[in-house]
Amino acid sequence: MATATVKRLRSSARLRSSRLTLVLLLKKPTGAAGLFIMLAYLFIALLLQFAPWVIGISQPGVMITNFSNPYPSPPSSAHLLGTTYPGIDVLTAIIKAIRVDVFSSLLVVGAGASIGSLLGIYAGFRGKFIDQIVMRVTDIFFSLPFLVLAMAIGFTLGRAFGDVLLALIVIWWPIYARLARSQTLAIKNELYVKFSLVSGNGSVKTIFKHILPNTLTPVLIQMSVDLANVVLLIAGLYFIGFAAETPYLPELGSLISYGFPFSLTAPWTIIYPGLALMIFALGMNMLGDGLRDALNPRYRI
Amino acid sequence: MAGILNLVLKRILLGAITLIGLTVITFILSHAGGPTFAVSTYINPRSPIPTYEQIKILEKRFHLNEPLYIQYFYYVQGLLTGQWGYTNTPVFNGPVTTAISYFLPNTIELSVLAIAIIIIAGIKLGVFSASRQDGVADNAIRVLSFMGIALPAFWLGLLLQETFASGTVSPSLNLLPLDGNVSHTLVTNLSWYREGISYPTHFLFIDALIHGDFAVAASNFLHLILPALTIALASLAIIIRMTRSSTIDSLHQDYIKTVRMKGIPERKVIRYHARRNAMIPTATVLGILFANLLAGVVLVEYVFDYPGIGQWIVQAFLADNIAGIMGANLMFGIILITSNLVVDIIYLFIDPRIKY
Repeated sequence: MATATVKRLRSSARLRSSRLTLVLLLKKPTGAAGLFIMLAYLFIALLLQFAPWVIGISQPGVMITNFSNPYPSPPSSAHLLGTTYPGIDVLTAIIKAIRVDVFSSLLVVGAGASIGSLLGIYAGFRGKFIDQIVMRVTDIFFSLPFLVLAMAIGFTLGRAFGDVLLALIVIWWPIYARLARSQTLAIKNELYVKFSLVSGNGSVKTIFKHILPNTLTPVLIQMSVDLANVVLLIAGLYFIGFAAETPYLPELGSLISYGFPFSLTAPWTIIYPGLALMIFALGMNMLGDGLRDALNPRYRI
Repeated sequence: MAGILNLVLKRILLGAITLIGLTVITFILSHAGGPTFAVSTYINPRSPIPTYEQIKILEKRFHLNEPLYIQYFYYVQGLLTGQWGYTNTPVFNGPVTTAISYFLPNTIELSVLAIAIIIIAGIKLGVFSASRQDGVADNAIRVLSFMGIALPAFWLGLLLQETFASGTVSPSLNLLPLDGNVSHTLVTNLSWYREGISYPTHFLFIDALIHGDFAVAASNFLHLILPALTIALASLAIIIRMTRSSTIDSLHQDYIKTVRMKGIPERKVIRYHARRNAMIPTATVLGILFANLLAGVVLVEYVFDYPGIGQWIVQAFLADNIAGIMGANLMFGIILITSNLVVDIIYLFIDPRIKY
């Protein structure tokens, strides 16, 4: 009976807390706009994943070419945003590319954040030698621009789409390791952590029950901003021609690279895919900014 | 003072450890494909296909048949003696170190202009934004700085080309050159300029001034404007945000209240009292700024067909030239580690609040 009450109180407190976050997030125009953009892109991605026929799109995994009429043609009623080389309809290609970009950035950021946070918490919790090793490794990763490092790792792994994502995961954990470590160091000596250890909980249980939940706030904010950074990086890599093995994979950067040789005479081939890219990155940055305020304990009293 | 010296030595040691770690990573990446893969970097792709015996000889010559940890020491020895491998790309054929000495000066020219734009405009806009906190101008600058972070640099470059160099938007805006780093008609018959490289310093602008050729220097400067602007706009937001928040912080300090009560005009309060202290936190993001800049250089030089390091990396990558990619990684790493070290050490000296 008593435990049931405690559980109910806890879950209602958690609910109130998440609802409070949402209210605070929506109160700021940037936060609300960011959330809206995120949901809109996610909706397009999910729609294309599970029911592409609703909006009349077939083959969501590949851009459909038309070599009988390959050169870019301006926007018209048949092609609302025009076509790009080789005869690809820009609008459908953008919609298809949004699915690929959103899911791949979610995958990279999700994997990077999980690996990095756990490693960072472990390093901070253990301290000493392990901490030193992990921190020195993150130093190495921070001593290179991510784009160039991704090129080097991707070069060794291969040029398939999965290899690109793997290369990005390899370089995207250190920032989370640092965040989670500094957060862990800040709370490691709090009484509730010590109490948990003294009362017989193992370090694994203490980490998952007390330390991990307390590191989530900065990690969540960073994840939101990183969704934008990862998409921009993938687009950059594809723009310079990373994906030699998957030529017609719908991706916003590679879509821009198809229009690159025609950019001066056919601006629509680069403007619209770039806009789709920029709006997503803008939305994620605004969401991160909104979350930073909404999750800040100073504003929650 | 001894305390500062200890900290400086510690930073230098950490930098050295990071550098060693970096060589381990490039070593692993370039030797991950086995000896035959590593040999391929030393073979000119235009030469006839080598026989099995020839490959074995090469493996022996570059110590690729030894255990990996011994190979690592040969690798480091090669790096220290300037043997960084050979690069075969459409823009350059030859040793990696020569490629760096040819292309890095162009990239430095570009970066210097970009940094000048970032620091001057970033600090001005940040302080301006802070002095009108939550006003219309402040909000406009904040929205623009959001967009600066979210803009894909290569896309921005294409848009600027379209607007200012092609005449498609408006012929009257067709003011600046489209790509490259100098007008080819100006340099075709110069004794100090061969195959895209200027002599003796390889800095085209400086070489032009040395030889008194002001037309070439002016053309070079005009070619730098658009790419530098593209790189700068992407990083400007960081400086604006940092300057803004630190200026707002320092405007709320007690000493500012004192200065205001003395009746000093607000303009002077900001200029002589708030801004100076607000610069200290801004100095910490200079490290991030350099990293951003170097990443931006790669894509922007590719878009503008600018003969710098970034263009060379992309070409090396597209030509499957591993020595070029690893050499560029090492070079970027060395630049970033040193610049972070310098920023850290300067920071120790300029912030009077750090006591020992």
